Amino acid sequence: MSIMQYNGGSVIAMVGKDCVAIASDLRLGVQSLSIATNFQKIFPVTDRLYLGLPGLASDVATLHERFRLLTNMYTIKEEREIEPETFAQLVSSTLYEKRFGPYFIEPVVAGMQKTPSGGYKPFIAATDLIGCLNFAKDFVVAGTASEKLFGVAEGLWEPDLEAEDLFETISQTLLNAVDRDAFSGWGAVVHVITKDKVVTRKLKGRMD
Amino acid sequence: MPDGSFAHPQERQFNPYSENGGTILAIAGADFTVVAGDTRQSEGYSIQTRYAPKVFKLTDRAVLAVNGFAADGNMFVKKVKQRLEWYRHAHAKDMPLRAIARLIQTMLYAQRFFPYYVYNILGGIEEDGSGAVYSFDPVGSYEREACRAAGAAQALVQPFLDNQIYFKNQQPPAGSSHPVHLPLPDVLSIVIDSFTGATERHIEVGDGLEIFVILAKGRSTQGFDGRSGVQELSTTPEGDRVFVIRRELKKD
Amino acid sequence: MNSLTERFATTGYAAELKRAKDVLGEEEDGLDPMWGSQAGFGNLASGVVKFNIPTVPDPSAFLRMHTDDFADPSCRIKIKHGTTTLAFRFQGGVIVAVDSRATAGSYVASGTVKKVIEINPYLLGTMAGGAADCQYWETYLGMQCRLHELRNRERISVAAASKYLSNLVYSYKGMGLSMGTMICGWDKTGPAVFYVDSDGTRLKGDLFSVGSGSTFAYGVLDQGYRWDLTDEEAQELGRRSIYAAGHRDAFSGNTINLFHVKEDGWKFIGNYDVSKMHYDGPDNTGGYAYELRVEGKSSANPPVTQ
Repeated sequence: MSIMQYNGGSVIAMVGKDCVAIASDLRLGVQSLSIATNFQKIFPVTDRLYLGLPGLASDVATLHERFRLLTNMYTIKEEREIEPETFAQLVSSTLYEKRFGPYFIEPVVAGMQKTPSGGYKPFIAATDLIGCLNFAKDFVVAGTASEKLFGVAEGLWEPDLEAEDLFETISQTLLNAVDRDAFSGWGAVVHVITKDKVVTRKLKGRMD
Repeated sequence: MPDGSFAHPQERQFNPYSENGGTILAIAGADFTVVAGDTRQSEGYSIQTRYAPKVFKLTDRAVLAVNGFAADGNMFVKKVKQRLEWYRHAHAKDMPLRAIARLIQTMLYAQRFFPYYVYNILGGIEEDGSGAVYSFDPVGSYEREACRAAGAAQALVQPFLDNQIYFKNQQPPAGSSHPVHLPLPDVLSIVIDSFTGATERHIEVGDGLEIFVILAKGRSTQGFDGRSGVQELSTTPEGDRVFVIRRELKKD
Repeated sequence: MNSLTERFATTGYAAELKRAKDVLGEEEDGLDPMWGSQAGFGNLASGVVKFNIPTVPDPSAFLRMHTDDFADPSCRIKIKHGTTTLAFRFQGGVIVAVDSRATAGSYVASGTVKKVIEINPYLLGTMAGGAADCQYWETYLGMQCRLHELRNRERISVAAASKYLSNLVYSYKGMGLSMGTMICGWDKTGPAVFYVDSDGTRLKGDLFSVGSGSTFAYGVLDQGYRWDLTDEEAQELGRRSIYAAGHRDAFSGNTINLFHVKEDGWKFIGNYDVSKMHYDGPDNTGGYAYELRVEGKSSANPPVTQ
């Protein structure tokens, strides 16, 4: 079995109209044995930027701490918070540093990006485990249920969804995808990010 | 070595199996069944042909979809058709659907130690007039279901079907419940959406789509008579009827 | 002359085949007319399966190479696996409980598998390992049990039925069959459970659990098992044990199928959604979930705010 499937878990992010959503399951397992139903895989980076880290659980912890250090250093040096697109590049270069002994994580970035005119636009991105960036305009997926997530998202997602509709779309996509994946599930969490607030909800999912 | 011999012992292995991609799916309604498959046949990254049917009419009330290794699949369909013809000669009627399902099980299991590399989905009308789908694994374990996707994009399509056909993870509005069977136009839309979705995200799916519709005896063609490219395949309009609807899929 | 010596020889290929046929009692169903009138076409398709073996030096290694996804995850033919099944004997009969999930790799191929095979109104078989192997041979066992009834004017005992299956799979030993099954029923001796697997093991016992989630099921089962369980307590124990496995084992879950075998044959008790058992329980009076039992009881488990 691949090390990417050792602990299980999946993350998805979607773009809506003036909003983005990022969601993950809550399972932590050791191969077929499920251990925890409250394992956090999505972390806030700034008020408008979230990072999802599906993959090997020990690297989730390591990378979370590492990105916390790197964004704090950035904030101190630049005297401003990091923007989503900049952060995606930071994620990419951090992973590529370990090109020949990678972290077993496929990060997903979702946030609201400041525009030159002072507004905000939705931003999502994902990379593979050595940092190859994918800037998608619709949705990105990662983790053990990625294939299933692609299939459902392709069927349910449409452009310019309002925040509440985007929440329903990403929730349905995630729940139905993880129910067909043995290594993901055991509850889920969804964050819907708009320019002035983040709404976080826990979903009641199948527990098997 | 210079003399043409080898320095090390050489081992050669015969691999009789290949994988030819594509996806099939079937959905049972109250008095109809829809069986669909794309028409691309590939090996690795190359497309062998853009039109290789994977769905076959067996009788006026049974349609078989085969996916996996095309050579095994075509041979298997040929043998099933042969057995059904023998049955017709012996009994002067078509074999009932549930009997075809059991026949397919024994035919697949006869190859238990040298399996056909095929995933079968059998769709049609039961003797009581209800729509039915039977799905098989390569060595013959089978189950009657309401909907099933198999093949290269099964992991993409099946969870979508769970959501749209079985209404999984959806709460019905207070005081109401989800319908047990969907009407034909809804099913056809879901089938087309499933395949366009799978075509977007899976390289082995695309080119063309063949949707077989089996209607129970006496049911009107209401639901798809307005659609283009419909062709009737049944031998008589009196009994159960079979139609095929052809659609284009992206070819990249 | 040769054929005469062959008939009575105790060694050699023909004798080997004859012995296998004797064991399986297959002599008589070789006759095509037994498979019903086919108006002269009966000779075209024999009802008896003749297994086709690949013409390679080691057929079982060939089969393993193409079908064993444990040895080689990239093998093409993925045979479904992952299961929790259990059966136990008690004062009121036999309880049989199973989950309904089938997985191929990490993909949940089906959540509606019937893992209890109804051999006849008095006999049940459970399915673990190869789905096709269990389905096919337990159906075949049902045919043989019916023939036994017709020949002997009495029902086959659970011991005899399970031994028939055990001898049958033993005759295919090393060929790659994969089954772990419990044959459960009620005969003259009372309730009976036999564990039979494709290695040829056959065990009589009070309590068995088979499959990837069996360790979780055993944990609950051993804890709550008593001979003098009431019918309701026993059914609840079976359901609760499969729930535990469905909850903790990634390869088990979806729904629980519960059967109860009594003197007058088996009865299907019900199909229960594992997730509904977690949140609400079988009669909506309280779920099995750990969270529900600890919520609000300590600072570590604060009440959920809506």
